[in-house]
Amino acid sequence: MTSGPPTVSGQPSASAIPETPARPLWRRVLARLSEYRGLLALILIFIIAVIVSPVNPSTGQRVFLILRTQRNILFEYAEYGILAAGMTLVVLTAGIDLSVGSVLGLSATLLAIFLIQFGWSPVVAVGLCMLAGLAIGSMSGALVARFRVQPFVATLVMMVAARGAAKLVSGGVKVQPGLPGYALTSDPAMFETMTRPLFGGFLEPITILFLGTILVLWVVVRYTRFGRSLYAIGGNEEAARLSGLRVGYTKVATYAICGLCAALAGVANASRQTLGDPEAGFTYELDAIAAVVIGGTSLMGGKGGVMLTLVGTLILGYIGKLLSLMGAEEAHRLLAKGLIIVIAVLIQRRGE
Amino acid sequence: MNRLRHIAAGLAVALALAAAAGCAKRAPTTAAKGTPGNPWVIGMSQCNLGEPWRVQMNADIKAAAAKHPELEVIYKDAQNQSTTQQAQVSEFVDQGVNLIIISPKEAKPLTEPVRDAYRAGIPVIVLDRKVEGEDYTCFIGADNVKIGREAGKFLVNLLGGKGNIVELEGLMTSTPGQERHAGFMQGIKGSDLKIVFTADCKWLEPDAQREMNSALAKFPQADAVNAVYAHNDPSAHGAYIVAKLEGKGRDKTIKFIGIDALPHEGVRYVKEGILTATFQYQTGGAEAIDTALRIFKGEKVPKNITLGTRIFSQDNVERGGEVIE
Repeated sequence: MTSGPPTVSGQPSASAIPETPARPLWRRVLARLSEYRGLLALILIFIIAVIVSPVNPSTGQRVFLILRTQRNILFEYAEYGILAAGMTLVVLTAGIDLSVGSVLGLSATLLAIFLIQFGWSPVVAVGLCMLAGLAIGSMSGALVARFRVQPFVATLVMMVAARGAAKLVSGGVKVQPGLPGYALTSDPAMFETMTRPLFGGFLEPITILFLGTILVLWVVVRYTRFGRSLYAIGGNEEAARLSGLRVGYTKVATYAICGLCAALAGVANASRQTLGDPEAGFTYELDAIAAVVIGGTSLMGGKGGVMLTLVGTLILGYIGKLLSLMGAEEAHRLLAKGLIIVIAVLIQRRGE
Repeated sequence: MNRLRHIAAGLAVALALAAAAGCAKRAPTTAAKGTPGNPWVIGMSQCNLGEPWRVQMNADIKAAAAKHPELEVIYKDAQNQSTTQQAQVSEFVDQGVNLIIISPKEAKPLTEPVRDAYRAGIPVIVLDRKVEGEDYTCFIGADNVKIGREAGKFLVNLLGGKGNIVELEGLMTSTPGQERHAGFMQGIKGSDLKIVFTADCKWLEPDAQREMNSALAKFPQADAVNAVYAHNDPSAHGAYIVAKLEGKGRDKTIKFIGIDALPHEGVRYVKEGILTATFQYQTGGAEAIDTALRIFKGEKVPKNITLGTRIFSQDNVERGGEVIE
């Protein structure tokens, strides 16, 4: 779970005292453990969830603990997880991408149009959606890197524009089979394939897409030159520039990857809804940012990692599923979510 | 410092979850099913609680279920997301509820989860919006065409078969909007009632106010507009406000009628003399609980239950309206 280059988070805060052999063992153990605090919190939440989970009266099983529930958590939070994975890279450069929810909606709409209205093959349709995501991400990146627009503003523009584009191409209605002039009158096979478990009924392709995205981006961030330069830029952009890193190019690539992830999440969304909803992904960017922050990646940039974001997504997923199973009202859920984010941020602050 | 941090973190998370756990209820597993000690558990998935009409549906279910201690209802709000509602249905299955009531956000995405639950042997009552196919136990919904037709016939009578109408429509890309219009046209057919102005107000009062302003400006003569037919009560209310603000006394001469008749909206407007009449679009909440009880008793229930409407007018509002069969 140690993501990114080693940080000082294990040391006592606000102290420049180098580690000395005199340091007692228990402090060193705790320091070591503190690097895993996200994971520990996740385990703690899991245990609490198992304890307070409702019980199915006919089977006597704790509903939270059954395999199907665990699988469903991954499946239902896949879209947030994919968005958050891409978001992590942007946040590492001290940026932010508000457009991911809208890009998700545009990609879902485009996929449905390509598959259902035009009757194109899934490979072409998904490929074009990914290109659209890359293009929008690159535009955000160019605005940020080349024209020095603040990331918040640049991606706010893209957020509004991408939503507009989604409504434009769909004519404001949900794209589904059977509308006049459409090539397909029933669901494209791809939607079913994406949402049916593979490997003897274990994981759905959407879940695999989620975990695969996490894995790939984890490798990219941790083991490539590009990944390491994200930390350098987020830590001190001027220093990164002076030391010869191609800051502009890296930023454009980062936002492009984030856009690509949003497009993939859109493919997942359309498959789950079995239609293209131009309103899909509304406010998802906030959940993606929450997952990144809860995981422990710093919004100030330069600190964090993709695996932390997986933990953050799972924390949101576990709590969301538990509250849903208990039939908690939306008001309580939002309060709980707010509380969790505050706690996560406070813990993070203590660690700095 | 580190230890403090961990303890604080652990405590905080535990507290948050304990607070959330406060609202959890457990069904005891002893005694026979369907008794106050061991009630039938019903899972209710509402597509969103942002609309007053849907809040009313949940309130109707709650009120009906409160009379039956042998029932327990778990409510979930899908926050207008089909994917969330899909998850809720499968959670109900895993939780082992005895029956599911669902008011789907959309037919298509919910068809499959409902089918899975139904085929797993759990009765499913679908409220207001349908799912595709036949894999559910019972559909309960009101008939918008009928309501529109009754509104049309009412206006024909009220105006003596002749007059000019402003129609403030609901969202015309939605089925209720289309059906309330189609029904109204059937209702006024053969009379000399004319629709002189029509606009899509998307169920929104501000839009209705704007459109009514245009209508009044277009027809400035005192008797150029005789009635306003609005597809929902807030729109009728908005039209009334605009007529009143115009200051030519047309709020008194024009008859305003609306649809939905929620207790604190349309019915109140009729009581206050703002609307001449409103037609109830029933939520079906009470009928859903009745149907659930019949299913638990092993009785056969119809596949489709179409709800009637109820008119609330100046004459009968104090008596609680009148049923139109």
